[in-house]
Amino acid sequence: MNDLIKELYQEIILDHGQSPRNFGECDPHNKSADGHNPLCGDNLKLTFYINNEDVIEDIKFTGEGCAISLASASLMTEKLKGKKIDIAEEIFSDFTNLVSGSSEDLKVLNEEDSLYALKGVGGFPMRVKCATMAWHAFKSALKS
Amino acid sequence: MLDIKKIRGDFPILNKKILNNKDLIYLDTAASAQKPKVVIDEINSFYSNNYANVSRGVHTLSVESTFKYEDARKKVQKFINADSEREIIFTKSATESINLIANSFASKYINEGDEIILTVMEHHSNIIPWFLIRDKYKCKILFANIDSTGNIDQKHFESLISEKTKLVSITHLSNVFGTIVNQEIINMCNNAGIPILLDGCQSASHIPIDVKTLGCDYFVFSGHKLYAPTGVGVFYGKENLIEELPPYQGGGGMIADVSIDGATFTDLPAKFEAGTPPLVEAYGLGVAIDYVNELGMSEISEHEFRLTNYALDKMQDLDFVDIHGANENKHSIISFNIKNVHSHEVSSFLDVEGIAIRAGHHCCQPLMKHLSLNSTARLSFGMYNTEDEVDIFINALKKCRDFFTK
Repeated sequence: MNDLIKELYQEIILDHGQSPRNFGECDPHNKSADGHNPLCGDNLKLTFYINNEDVIEDIKFTGEGCAISLASASLMTEKLKGKKIDIAEEIFSDFTNLVSGSSEDLKVLNEEDSLYALKGVGGFPMRVKCATMAWHAFKSALKS
Repeated sequence: MLDIKKIRGDFPILNKKILNNKDLIYLDTAASAQKPKVVIDEINSFYSNNYANVSRGVHTLSVESTFKYEDARKKVQKFINADSEREIIFTKSATESINLIANSFASKYINEGDEIILTVMEHHSNIIPWFLIRDKYKCKILFANIDSTGNIDQKHFESLISEKTKLVSITHLSNVFGTIVNQEIINMCNNAGIPILLDGCQSASHIPIDVKTLGCDYFVFSGHKLYAPTGVGVFYGKENLIEELPPYQGGGGMIADVSIDGATFTDLPAKFEAGTPPLVEAYGLGVAIDYVNELGMSEISEHEFRLTNYALDKMQDLDFVDIHGANENKHSIISFNIKNVHSHEVSSFLDVEGIAIRAGHHCCQPLMKHLSLNSTARLSFGMYNTEDEVDIFINALKKCRDFFTK
C-alpha cells in the first residue's frame, strides 16, 4: 500500500467515517446550517446550541458523504463541543489552513490534535472541499 | 483492427507518470478525451502561421483563417452526415448549443401550458436550460422514467406525448449508464410530428453518427470529448427548421444590415454565430475529425464496445461491485459502486494507482435521486484504452475493497 493513501486515510479517519460521532440533531438548538458539495452531491445538516456564556454546549450533524467529509464533520463536533465561539472561530481558520497545505502559522491547533489527521487532504486538492464542508456550514450557521 | 500501440504513441499525455510514478491509465474520456499530438500541433501552427479574425477582413491572414474555419464546418457536416454545411453552427460548448435551441425555439414556439419532454437521466446541461425556459414561458417540463436496465421506459415516454408536446430533448448515449437511446423513441416523435433534439455529447465520440438515419431534428455535441480542444461545440438543426428560428445572441458577424432604427440578420449559419467564433478550436475539431476518420469511427466504436464488455465480464465476477443498469446495450461507459465505499474514496484510491476515473453525480442529480444514490464511480473508454489497463483497474478495485472494508 502506498504512503499517500495511508496518509489520507489514517485509521482515525476511517473510524470516524464509518462510525461518525455526534450524529443526529441537537434538541434544543439555536443555530443550524446545511452544508452541500455541489461537485459530488454530498450534504449535511449541522445543529448546535450556544448558551448565554457563548459556549457551544452541544453540536451534532446528520448527512451523507464520503469518509473524508463524514470524518471531518465528526472530528469537528468533538473538537468544538464545549468551546467558546471566539476559540471555535480560531479553530476554523486553523483547520482550513491545515487542509489547504499551509500548516505553518496555526494558532490553536497542534500535531497532538485529532484534526491533524486530516492534513493529508492537502495532497489531494480535489478533496479539500470534502474536508471543509462541515466547517463552512459551521461558519455560516454562526452568521445566521 | 486498430493498432492501439501506435494510437497510444499519438497521445503525448499517456507518457505521464502519476503521483507514485505510476503509468497513467486514463478511464475518464466521458468527462473529456485526451488530445492527439496532431491536434495540439495544428493549433500551434494555426496561431503561428495563419491566425487572424474570420469573415471580416480581406487581407491574406483573414482569408486563410476563414478558409480553415469553414473547412472545419464541412468536416463536421460530413462527420454527422448533415445535408448542408448551413446546418452546422459552431458554439463554445454543447451546453451553449442546448441553450441556443432552447431560447431560440421557445421564443418562437413555446407558450404557457405547452410541454417539453426530457428523461430523468439527462445531464444538467439538458435540464437547466429548459427549467429557465419554463420559468420564462410558464410551460411544463415532463420527465420520462427509466427502467432498471438504464433505458427509457418506453410506455411511460409514450404516455407523456400529447398535443401539448412541443419538443423532446434526450440524451443519445447516457453519460451514466452508457445506454444508447432506442430508435423507437425517435420514431415515436417523428410519427407524432414532434421535433426531437438528441444530446450527442457521449455518442459522437463512441458511435458513428448519421443524423438523417437517426431521424433527429436537432443534434448537439462538444469538441473536447471527441479528441478536439475545449471551447468548441456543435449545434446541428435541419435547415428548414432553423431557418425559421430567430437568432440566439446578437453581435458582430450575424447581421445583414444595421442602422440606428434596427437590424436585419444574415443567413445560416452565421445568423447563430454572433461575435468572434472559437475559430482555432473549430479548426482543431476538424483536425480531430480527420484523425478519427483515418482510423475509422466504426473501428474505434468496435474497439471500445469490446473493451466495455471485457470490463463488464470481469466486474460482474466481483461480488463487492454494483454495476448500474443492465450489461446489455452499454457502450464505453460503466457506472458502479464498491459496496459500502463512497465513490470519492474509490477515485482517490485509484488515483494513487495511476488510474483516472470519475466520481460523483456526473451532473445527473435527478438520476441519482431516482436511483437513491449519493454518487457513483464511473469508468469510460477512449480509443487509446487497452485490456491490460482494464486488468490493472480490476486488480486496483480489489485492493481498494480490501483497504476500506478489511
